[in-house]
Amino acid sequence: MDLYSVVTEHKWILEALYTLIIFSICMVIVLKTDRFFRLSFHNGIRYFRNAFLFFGFGFLARYLFGFSEQFSIAVKIMFEYFLIMAGFFLFYSLIWKKFASTEEHSSLFNSKIIIFHLMAITLAVIDGLWQTYNLMFFSQIIIFAYTSIISFVNYIKKSGKYKFLKFYFIGMLLVLSAWVLNFLAASVFNWNPIILINIGIINVIFFFLFLYGVIKATK
Amino acid sequence: MTSKKRERLEVIRDILNTIKQNREIKPTRLLYASNLSPQMFKEYINELIAKEFIKLEISDNEKKTFTLTKKGNDFLQEYKIIENFVENFGL
Repeated sequence: MDLYSVVTEHKWILEALYTLIIFSICMVIVLKTDRFFRLSFHNGIRYFRNAFLFFGFGFLARYLFGFSEQFSIAVKIMFEYFLIMAGFFLFYSLIWKKFASTEEHSSLFNSKIIIFHLMAITLAVIDGLWQTYNLMFFSQIIIFAYTSIISFVNYIKKSGKYKFLKFYFIGMLLVLSAWVLNFLAASVFNWNPIILINIGIINVIFFFLFLYGVIKATK
Repeated sequence: MTSKKRERLEVIRDILNTIKQNREIKPTRLLYASNLSPQMFKEYINELIAKEFIKLEISDNEKKTFTLTKKGNDFLQEYKIIENFVENFGL
């Protein structure tokens, strides 16, 4: 029996473990960065923290979606909304200074973030009604393509002094590739389990990479 | 983009360090030491007071001085780590 057969046979246990690992990593990152935000009131840290809070909730909702039949559309909309918002928050954490103003008292609901909320809800609801994932895939591929470019520029500018910028860029490429593979798995390969397993592995590597970065940078 | 943000954190660090070194300092002396325009200085000071990093004390003879709070002192202690985190993640 090969690895992929084992994974497919124990799908629900591994799904639970996968969700638990990612949710736990996200919460550790949220707690660590929240402490630094409360000390510095730095908006970049605040949006970065929000991104991982939404990633955590997104993966939790994704897991519940697998069980929920009666409320499946509502749970699907919820998990898409959280994951889309996580992508938006991570993207915004890199560009917030271009749009910063003094009246942003809340990072979850302010004049800029409300646009992301509206976009995320619209995309998630349309995907829910159409019984598809395409709008989530497209939005995340676009967002992470931009984020990859920004992180590459950051890496080129300051890689000598700040070592994690290289891994941040690699992390963005990993997430981008995961979203592209998700899109291909859904549209071309009929949810091929081998592709899905590889997406799961890429996601776990990405979250461990960022956990490592957060722990190392805040040590 | 990144340098502007680092400057902001550095300005905050410098203001807090100046207050710490002097234990208490008059607004005019702090303004000179901060090397900021009066308007920018006012914005930073208001922000630091709002965040409870510094405290404005007024004596009986209406002499105003700034002092560092525990929160401000904590910020200074962890400044390097915060800066390191912000720069490593391009925030």
